[in-house]
Amino acid sequence: MARAPSIVASRRLSSTAVTFSGTILVVMLLAALLADLIGPHDPLSIDPNRILESPTRTFWLGTDELGRDLLSRLMHGARVSLAVAISAVAIAAVVGVPLGITLAYVGGRVETLAMRVVDVFVSLPEIFIAIVVLAFAGGGMTPLIATIGLLYFPQFARVSHSMARSILVRDHVLASRSLGAGPLWIVRKEVVINMYSVIAVQASFTLSFAMLTEAGLSFLGLGVPAPTPSWGQMIGTLKDYIYINAWPVVLPSIALFATVLAVNVLGDCLQDRLNPELRR
Amino acid sequence: MFAYLRRRLAAAALTLLLASLVVFASIHFLPGDPVVILLGEQIGGDPAVVEAMRHQLGLDRPVHEQFVVWIGNIFDGDLGRSIRTGEPVMIDLLVRVPRSLELIVAGLFVAVLLGVPLGVISARERGRPAGTIASIAAVAGFSAPVFVTGILLVIVFSLWLELLPSSGYVAFSDDPLLHLSCLVLPATAIGVAFMGVVARMTRASLSDTMRRDFVRLARAKGLSRELAIRRHALPNALVPVIAIVGIRAGNLLGGTVIVEALFDWPGLSSLLVSASFSRDYPVMQGTLIAIFVIFIVISFLMDLCQGLIDPRVRDRDR
Repeated sequence: MARAPSIVASRRLSSTAVTFSGTILVVMLLAALLADLIGPHDPLSIDPNRILESPTRTFWLGTDELGRDLLSRLMHGARVSLAVAISAVAIAAVVGVPLGITLAYVGGRVETLAMRVVDVFVSLPEIFIAIVVLAFAGGGMTPLIATIGLLYFPQFARVSHSMARSILVRDHVLASRSLGAGPLWIVRKEVVINMYSVIAVQASFTLSFAMLTEAGLSFLGLGVPAPTPSWGQMIGTLKDYIYINAWPVVLPSIALFATVLAVNVLGDCLQDRLNPELRR
Repeated sequence: MFAYLRRRLAAAALTLLLASLVVFASIHFLPGDPVVILLGEQIGGDPAVVEAMRHQLGLDRPVHEQFVVWIGNIFDGDLGRSIRTGEPVMIDLLVRVPRSLELIVAGLFVAVLLGVPLGVISARERGRPAGTIASIAAVAGFSAPVFVTGILLVIVFSLWLELLPSSGYVAFSDDPLLHLSCLVLPATAIGVAFMGVVARMTRASLSDTMRRDFVRLARAKGLSRELAIRRHALPNALVPVIAIVGIRAGNLLGGTVIVEALFDWPGLSSLLVSASFSRDYPVMQGTLIAIFVIFIVISFLMDLCQGLIDPRVRDRDR
């Protein structure tokens, strides 16, 4: 996806932003990994006497509509949100990148036609397709990951295709070819090796899109089924109670926002660092 | 221009064909038999009844034949009937399409209204506090998920300030004022997400234009920096911004999914979501097709406008 030039342009601001975003991501990852160990309560245990509370001594961040501990649910929610988004990006890359490279290598009519189709899929608003697919496939982690992964593989196909095309006509590829290198060798040693940075940048952008899509679908009730917490699903449930207590819904909102912001800022900086010609 | 028009039309037609294939395939090849859903679990258990129903609906014919019949029916304006209500899908769609379009147009309006000034400030005040704050606001708007923005807006403007209704819809003909006050929050929620994109483009384009010779000339003639920017740099800088607003306008459709659910706005997306929960597949198909058609028409019109304004665009993808 074409992006406007990075907004965090000044060096000083950008290094502060990177430190800040990096810290947020590390905290979220730790929370997700260690949720079982350091989470203060069971994220599923219900307490009907203490619903929708603001922070207290026992429940550091308050409780939700069933009296469950919000801090523990946030940590377990981080696990779901990050796991779904990261796996989906992995699927998208594993499907998309080989497809893009193969099409660039094959060339001709097949390439033109296939890339037209890929362009169409990149342009269509993906969330609608996800809604319909999930309505039939049912909720749950696996369909969710598969659906989001398949929604984003055309983006990887497009990026790796255009990158591979430009690499394949370079002189070093021509040299290898004239020395008798086969297609697999060329793809492995000449093409893929020169693509890592572009794929990494694409992956960081796709990661934030995937997190938002997962959160959106869970918000609508089409994602991970209750009672397993995910941030989007928590927001979707807690929003109905803001007139009783607006505090609980703010927490998962902030967590999601901070994480997506951190991924975006890091992606921007990654792009600046890896593509020096974009620097102004 | 004619050749360009022809190419864009061909591209739009191809997109439409693929989109309808996706819609058709997503219903026909996914697990969950529509006939069993249609009949309900109890009667659906009887194979003879299922077979009869399948024949009546034409579902026992070859898939490609079904596709052709389905497409033909769409051109006749027949999208089938809802399983739940028995009403023709088309009637519901005709009521809801304008509502979703209204939301998108209002969102676009908010995005430009907030995004352009934000971009101008961050370009003009580059390296100074005001510019940094404007930049951060743009990134924040870009990164904030629509439902987070939406919930914040509800908490601030309807819970605390009690200025606007938190959700709901009233027809314009019933009560114009209430209709508009219901529109403000959802439109802002959609607009803020897009505002970040507009601000980024404005900033990039304006800082580029500010270095051009004609702006320097204006300054040399004695114009103040303020006037040189407003009269000379900004109008030129806004051309690519308008282009990007057009290209991405269709993407606002995606934002309506969450916003319509959050604010109980009875548009296309909320119809798709509610139909998905009851697996009302004729409604799902019809709504999805309507959404894609809107998206394709918007993209096509925007391409056309761009081609009219900028002749270079016409030759680009030849």
